[in-house]
Amino acid sequence: MGFKERLTKEWLFWDGGTGSVLQSWGLQAGELPETWNIIHPEKIIELNKGYLEAGCDIINTNTFGANRLKYPDNLEEIVTKAVEHAKKARELTGRTDALISLDLGPTGKLLEPLGDLSFDDAVDIYAEVIEYGTKAGADVILIETMQDSYELKAAVLAAKEHSDLPVCATVVFDEKGKMLTGGTPESVVALLEGLHIDALGINCSLGPTQIKPFVERMIKVSSTPIIVTPNAGLPQTDDEGHTYYDMNADEFASEMKEIASLNVHVLGGCCGTTPEYLSKTIELVKDLPIEPPVKKNMSVVTSFSQAVEIGPKPVIIGERINPTGKKKFKQALRDGDINYILSEGLKQEDAGAHILDVNVGLPEIDEPKMMVEVMKKLQSVIALPLQIDTSDPIALEAALRHYNGKAMINSVNGKQESMDAVFPLVQKYGGVVVGLALDEDGIPDNAADRIRIAKKIYKEAGKYGIEPKDIVIDGLAMTISSDPTSAIATLETLRIIRDELHGHSILGVSNISFGLPQRPIVNANFFTMAMQSGLSCAIINPSSEAMMKSYRAYLALSGLDTNFTEYISAYGNSAPAPVKSEAVDMSLYESIKRGMSENAGKATQKQLETKEGLEIINEELIPALDEVGKGFEKGTIFLPQLLMSAEAAKAAFAVIKDSMAGKPREMKGKIIIATVKGDIHDIGKNIVKVMLENYGYDVIDLGKDVPPEQIVDTAIQEDVKLVGLSALMTTTVVSMEDTIKLLKEKKPDTLTVVGGAVMTQEYADRIGADCYAKDAMETVRFADKVFGGE
Amino acid sequence: MIDINRKEALRYLGYRQSIEGDLTEINNALNHCIEVLQKTAVPRHIVKRFPVSIENHTITIGDMVIHSRNLENNLKGCHAVYLFAATIGIEVDRLIKRTELTKMSDAVIYQAAGAAMIEAYCDEVNEELNQEAHKNNEFLKPRFSPGYGDLALDHQKDFMRILKMDKIGISLLESLLMVPSKSVTAIIGITHHAQPRHTKDCANCPAQCEFRRVE
Repeated sequence: MGFKERLTKEWLFWDGGTGSVLQSWGLQAGELPETWNIIHPEKIIELNKGYLEAGCDIINTNTFGANRLKYPDNLEEIVTKAVEHAKKARELTGRTDALISLDLGPTGKLLEPLGDLSFDDAVDIYAEVIEYGTKAGADVILIETMQDSYELKAAVLAAKEHSDLPVCATVVFDEKGKMLTGGTPESVVALLEGLHIDALGINCSLGPTQIKPFVERMIKVSSTPIIVTPNAGLPQTDDEGHTYYDMNADEFASEMKEIASLNVHVLGGCCGTTPEYLSKTIELVKDLPIEPPVKKNMSVVTSFSQAVEIGPKPVIIGERINPTGKKKFKQALRDGDINYILSEGLKQEDAGAHILDVNVGLPEIDEPKMMVEVMKKLQSVIALPLQIDTSDPIALEAALRHYNGKAMINSVNGKQESMDAVFPLVQKYGGVVVGLALDEDGIPDNAADRIRIAKKIYKEAGKYGIEPKDIVIDGLAMTISSDPTSAIATLETLRIIRDELHGHSILGVSNISFGLPQRPIVNANFFTMAMQSGLSCAIINPSSEAMMKSYRAYLALSGLDTNFTEYISAYGNSAPAPVKSEAVDMSLYESIKRGMSENAGKATQKQLETKEGLEIINEELIPALDEVGKGFEKGTIFLPQLLMSAEAAKAAFAVIKDSMAGKPREMKGKIIIATVKGDIHDIGKNIVKVMLENYGYDVIDLGKDVPPEQIVDTAIQEDVKLVGLSALMTTTVVSMEDTIKLLKEKKPDTLTVVGGAVMTQEYADRIGADCYAKDAMETVRFADKVFGGE
Repeated sequence: MIDINRKEALRYLGYRQSIEGDLTEINNALNHCIEVLQKTAVPRHIVKRFPVSIENHTITIGDMVIHSRNLENNLKGCHAVYLFAATIGIEVDRLIKRTELTKMSDAVIYQAAGAAMIEAYCDEVNEELNQEAHKNNEFLKPRFSPGYGDLALDHQKDFMRILKMDKIGISLLESLLMVPSKSVTAIIGITHHAQPRHTKDCANCPAQCEFRRVE
């Protein structure tokens, strides 16, 4: 019988620690264990045999670290031999029932965006090992000791795409129940169930005693069989400096017996667990009853670190990352100004959003590419789960594949064509999908017909194994200005979804008031009515005070805000404002000099009563900034002061800009800045950006790791006179040189200014830059020279 | 909680004697950033002890073979070393990235305070090892990192392999820099000869960097 047939019907016992056994047999620190498959085959067979004789049902191949990064020359041989040794051990012990598991650990590299291994490369790296292992005859794949949910997803996808074997995965939690990159038991279970893993669980981490609470948390949310393979207690160091674990085999076995009674299905060991630990565990557990996992009915979306459950209380989905009707946002998309988009995300997170909707659809841009890029960058700074909002199935697949977590998907509808395109993707990658209650005949004007479509969506999804819990029906808010009964139809739809379908619902709430004056009044009240009718998810602008007031009041009134924590933290007399060093009425000049943003804003407001905006800029703002800039150049002011002054000036500009009723500030000129290809360090570049913007330049920020072609193309398209390039490392100065060369060739009238940690005047001259700036102020001075015609 | 040295953080920010004016705002910002950092950081470290041999200007530690006059000098009289790696975690990197988008002045303060924090954490662990060593009548040399002087950054790969640094979440970029960015690897020499109290100045470092500190 195979793994799947036996799983949950009988106890299955995985083997124990490979590394600790091999070390006791002479494996040196730093020696790659998998080389023993070739140089000491008899020992690897012995290792496998030991666990089979102890009674284990599944033995791992000695391939934990086997990948092309560590074995560029002989990976196939390493993997094939490992499987052959396991087979040999099975033959020698006569354990024909035993299963061989292809063992896969982390790659040892951190994935993008914080590391430099791309997701696609990570999938490839795993795929290669999986193909060799499957070909050599493994029975099951185990992905283990995973510390990062993104790498975990890459490995599972590789297994699903390159093998038909059952796939299991176990992860590592620290003493706080978190993975190294922030994942929790809840977020990991949702991610892995979305990918249809066969069994999941915890390995390594700590001893059985310490991981028990995390096992319990997993069981609470998982409908999938659970694997538990802990270490032999906590690591200790003996007098010789050798590591050992603080539990003996009997202690370990008796703790494992406790864990066995929690409704888990596969047990084994990790670091420090020799065959003795396993044989004792098996002895204590094998006759205990075993129960299949209890089916849970939870709708969960996740990011790399957070899990948001839909259902217990209404969830706020921020709608602001969307170009529709937003001029500035459209421009940012065209310019590739991702930072603008990220700021929109951060604002919504601060305002209280639980999930962010991400829509980057514009006719003139490459949506799949932009969607993936925006999503990745968002995930480098924001931990909220994302809702991928696109009507392009190619963009949707690219996004679902590269998303770190289990995404929300906006949307599918009752049209056959839509369901045929979207459901296979949800089936493959997991996700919670928004189902719009409309179909080929359009949007029904009544609840009964919307519910009919909702049922059709549930039914069709069922064919793909997508459960109703992973579908959220959009009850469709249509403006009351064109049909006065439309709100009633929508609310009734919500009520039926909750009471009769026992499902979840979603609305783009503010659609209800199109065409009416004072829309926030209608929106906020409709929002309350919708929540009362069962609304599970609200797509709104979380920065809208009126909407958030409705939301927090509803939670407080419905007993969903324990101790009124959320309400009080938003509206109670929160902590007193931090003590300011100076009285509030300080001149604008002084506020900027001292870097006090709040004061700068207030002082500007006051001055506007008597002065013109431009006058204020010329008489106070610029001179103050200049004094600070000069102080920085002289060495009497240091970097944080310079930046705080810049921020205070920015706050003043914002007030003046408002007063000029959107009349744009006159810009001195356009400048491109970028960190060059191969370099992912961009704080220096970002500092320069802040300063240039304050001095009135329109900055096109192309980000980091930017190829020369992109910089040159943008310079041509936007006819930019000055390009600023940053590089941190000597190794990437080469890319700087390439960029300058290409620029001189294709757009010779554009000047370049370079900077960065390793840059010197000499270097700058050698690579043909027009200016070397040692800091942000020098870049500003050079720009003034270029654009001031001096 | 790791005790962050505020003076150090200011020094990393470029603070010098010549700086004029009221620092109240900077100090408020620094206090705030330190508070957030304390909540964000997850300090972890790994230490392993190895015998060391130095012959013909070749230093051997485990299976790592090193040619570095500066390190050789540092390890004079040592019979063993600790290989050491520490980090304050990836969330600090994320914090810095996101603050670059919202408030650049705070972002540079996080950079500096984060650097001071990982140093302070290394000092803490170092001190524990020191106490431990004293019990066995052993003494520790100042820690020495790949990239200092003529000790090649390439040895980061050896650290990765020998210490399995990925277990505490440290990995290497193609450039051999570490992520999380606030991470440190070091070799700490162990000797039977009593050591003078280590000052934290840079007198023995050949690099002439702008942060050079001579007390």
